[in-house]
Amino acid sequence: MTMADVWAFMPLLIIAFGILSVLLMGAFVPGRSGTVAGMVASLGSAFWALQEPPQTAAPPLGIAFTPFSRFFIVLFSLTAAIVLLLSHDYNKRRGIGGEEYPAAILFATFGMVVLATATNFLNLFLGLEGLTFAFYILTAIDRNCSGSGEAGLKYLLQGAASAAFVAFGIALLYAGVGTLEIQAAMNAVMAGGGNVPIAWGGWGFLLIGLAFKVSLVPAHLWTPDVYQGAPTPVVAFLSTGSKAAGLVALVLLLTALGSGSEMTRMPLWWLSLLSMVLGNLAALRQRNLNRMLAYSSIAQMGYVTLALVTGTREGFSAVILYAVIYTAMNLTAFGAIASLSGEKRMDEINEYRGLGFSRPFQGGMLALAMFSLAGIPPTAGFMGKFAIFAAALGGGETVLAVLGIVTAVVSVYYYLRIVATLYMQAPEGEEASGGASFPEVAALCAAAFVILLLGVYPGPLMDVIDAILG
Amino acid sequence: MVNDNYQILTILIFLPLAAIVPVMLLRGREGLCKWLACSVSSIELALAGWLFCLAPVLPSASVPPPGYFIRQDFPWIERFGIRYSLGADGISVLLVLLTAFIMCIAVLISRKAVTKHVAAYHALLLAITGGVMGVFLSLDLFLFYLFWEVMLIPMLLLIGIWGRGKPVYSALKFFVYTMAGSLLMLLAIIGVYLIHGNQTGHYTFSLLELLGTTIDQSAALWLFGAFLLAFAIKVPLFPLHTWMPDAYADAPPAGSLILAALLAKTGAYGLIRFAYPLFPTAAALLSPVIFALAAAGILYGSWVAYAQHDMKRLVAYSSFGHMGFIVLGIAAWTPLSLSGSVLQMVNHGITTGGLFVLLGMLEERADTTAIDAFGGLWGSIPNFSAFFLLFALASAGLPGLNNFVGEFLLLAGVFRVSPWMAVLAFAGIVPVLIYLLRMVQKVIFTQARTPLGLRDVSLREGLVLSACAILIVALGVYPVPLLDLVRAPVQLISGGPGGLP
Repeated sequence: MTMADVWAFMPLLIIAFGILSVLLMGAFVPGRSGTVAGMVASLGSAFWALQEPPQTAAPPLGIAFTPFSRFFIVLFSLTAAIVLLLSHDYNKRRGIGGEEYPAAILFATFGMVVLATATNFLNLFLGLEGLTFAFYILTAIDRNCSGSGEAGLKYLLQGAASAAFVAFGIALLYAGVGTLEIQAAMNAVMAGGGNVPIAWGGWGFLLIGLAFKVSLVPAHLWTPDVYQGAPTPVVAFLSTGSKAAGLVALVLLLTALGSGSEMTRMPLWWLSLLSMVLGNLAALRQRNLNRMLAYSSIAQMGYVTLALVTGTREGFSAVILYAVIYTAMNLTAFGAIASLSGEKRMDEINEYRGLGFSRPFQGGMLALAMFSLAGIPPTAGFMGKFAIFAAALGGGETVLAVLGIVTAVVSVYYYLRIVATLYMQAPEGEEASGGASFPEVAALCAAAFVILLLGVYPGPLMDVIDAILG
Repeated sequence: MVNDNYQILTILIFLPLAAIVPVMLLRGREGLCKWLACSVSSIELALAGWLFCLAPVLPSASVPPPGYFIRQDFPWIERFGIRYSLGADGISVLLVLLTAFIMCIAVLISRKAVTKHVAAYHALLLAITGGVMGVFLSLDLFLFYLFWEVMLIPMLLLIGIWGRGKPVYSALKFFVYTMAGSLLMLLAIIGVYLIHGNQTGHYTFSLLELLGTTIDQSAALWLFGAFLLAFAIKVPLFPLHTWMPDAYADAPPAGSLILAALLAKTGAYGLIRFAYPLFPTAAALLSPVIFALAAAGILYGSWVAYAQHDMKRLVAYSSFGHMGFIVLGIAAWTPLSLSGSVLQMVNHGITTGGLFVLLGMLEERADTTAIDAFGGLWGSIPNFSAFFLLFALASAGLPGLNNFVGEFLLLAGVFRVSPWMAVLAFAGIVPVLIYLLRMVQKVIFTQARTPLGLRDVSLREGLVLSACAILIVALGVYPVPLLDLVRAPVQLISGGPGGLP
């Protein structure tokens, strides 16, 4: 093992060491030190990835330490740190104890990092399944809540099916082109070497499996149930980290495939359209806030896919920009919900009446997230949507862009209904009160700062994204 | 970098936005909040007045584009060619002054009327001020769109939180309607940007550079259609007005005032500044349609206004009719009709704004604005009634008062292009006279119905109303300074020699 290998492995090693130490510390000093240890590990890996590696060597064991993977290591690690901050007091209130929680969060992060650094299909699969596996546990971790177990089972059953699709797709691709290296396999597919029909078939299965991860219609069925049942900070992580990881996989594969091919365009076109239409229409009817946000995230992933359809460089950079923005938005939304939930969960939208005034900090954060998700300037959500639609029109997808904008009008209604509930309706019964704890304030402020900063000054981040796309 | 010395445009936009922070920090001390909002809006008015007086003679470090007095311009998001580009020409300066004036009034009339969440209310008023200023000053399509949306959120909250009747319904209806138009406009903006970029290799959102783009006919029609939709919803133009009566009637007094006096103007301004100059051929092709819709709006608005039992709704529909005149003047697209339209935008802002202020005061006292609830006000509150009569007469277009000048100019301009349309529109003035006089007669002159024990205008209210009244008379008698300011930009925009009398 050379120094370059150690550099590339270091983020993974730091997180793995974090997992071990969290679990070991549980044996010696049981308590709540898991949050701190987990934060140290995830921030450590983020800082490591920020450094420029001393020299670039051939990726060992399918682990790349490219600017692309470093960017996502930072994103995933910071997301995990914020989720840990949000979970600390939520878990205390809901009676979720034990070291397994921070360890599982770190394990999911480990999977995401593996995925972001993957250069061959095996690592891609391991990363994807590793993170999903951690989420099976996390979804079902709230033993006091029957919905949590139910959601975990639903997620497990459908997740297993999707894992089968991904594995079978990879197997077919391997049978078709005879290599597991992503770049080599995609080159062979494009060049027409090997058994191309089988390889395209494998690509199709892979796409279905990944559509499940990012919950695109028609592979979205698990999303509302899991969002409703799982503990809210877990949903925050699931809807940001896991979605972004799915997008990373898609971007890795599609950029390796090179200039957009008609074979990938049509399925993505339909996935995008169906997700935008169905997600937005279904969200209109929801009474449960988490379910509404689940459908909203389906629709949001439809928008991201709209940029993927183009297959252009602008499209991919819009996808990455939106992945970052979407992470900040959903962390803020679910973070605010988690902070508002006391011993009893806040489920129904009606329970949020008047909270904008009685609990101004959390209410304001939730409203900010809603404005951003609705794509209203000067929030980052607007910048992200703008980049996506500019890329779509630039890539010639006019019809899909117009259809997407029409569904976005629908989405404005249900997002603003939440704002209206927060600020324009009188609360039922006695006034709820209670501020946010310090970790929650810190986490929410960090996410909200990103939303506002990227809303008015996205230039530097866009330059970085431009650079990592190479 | 073209960076003309004057930061005044930036200050006009961002002073109210910056003032939100101290207002929210002082939310416990309501008196201080009111005082702060009041002084910030007074400073805005002073700045706008300064701009109005000195703009034509200001020296300039570098030459601003023709027609403009001041320009501020530096790169913002370079990847997309987005620039922070502000500029003021005669039209902008007039509307900025109107904005500052109306916002001053909005703050003043809210002193007593608002009792809950005072700090948040004033913060929202300040946010609207910044947004509307930005709309009137932006010369970059992206920046314009940003401000266009930014002014909507506070308006939504203003209607929803402090409104009456069915505020949440009205607020969401208003917002979703406007968003539907503006999101399609966003696509059109990106479309123009890409077409220009593909032609020249230089990707930019700058209005002045995009103006020369050659766009083929069918694309231009679609793009113009999207712009037209967004602006027509905001104006509102028949048949896209159905959000208007609800929003106007349910908003708090300052909200109705801002909606009618300012937000409607942003739609008309968008047509003049962006939609028509960017797509002249498509606009020429569609102008018969716009003529027809504007005329239909004038007649329909008058007809429906006649049937209203609530004064707020009546004035809302009359405002809708008047906006039809303004759009008619824009559709004719001659220097004469355009000057009339711009002048009328200011006049309509003052008269209709004044009427909404009066109705707000009535609502504050009697808790209703139903026509049947009042009668014989002349006997009980004479000062109020005098203002009411004056504003209603101005709104009806009485010669010597401000609306007459604007309507006359724009109808004269329209007459040269399309005589029949002018005749039709002229006929539309008659019902306006009828329903306004009917309202005045019922509310002020008939027998008092129930003794309401209303209080006449206070000193603060009298000050606000007198300011409006003075402007109504002054602009009716001597509109020359305004017309002078508008002449140059209007000629440049419409590309014809001036035809002012």
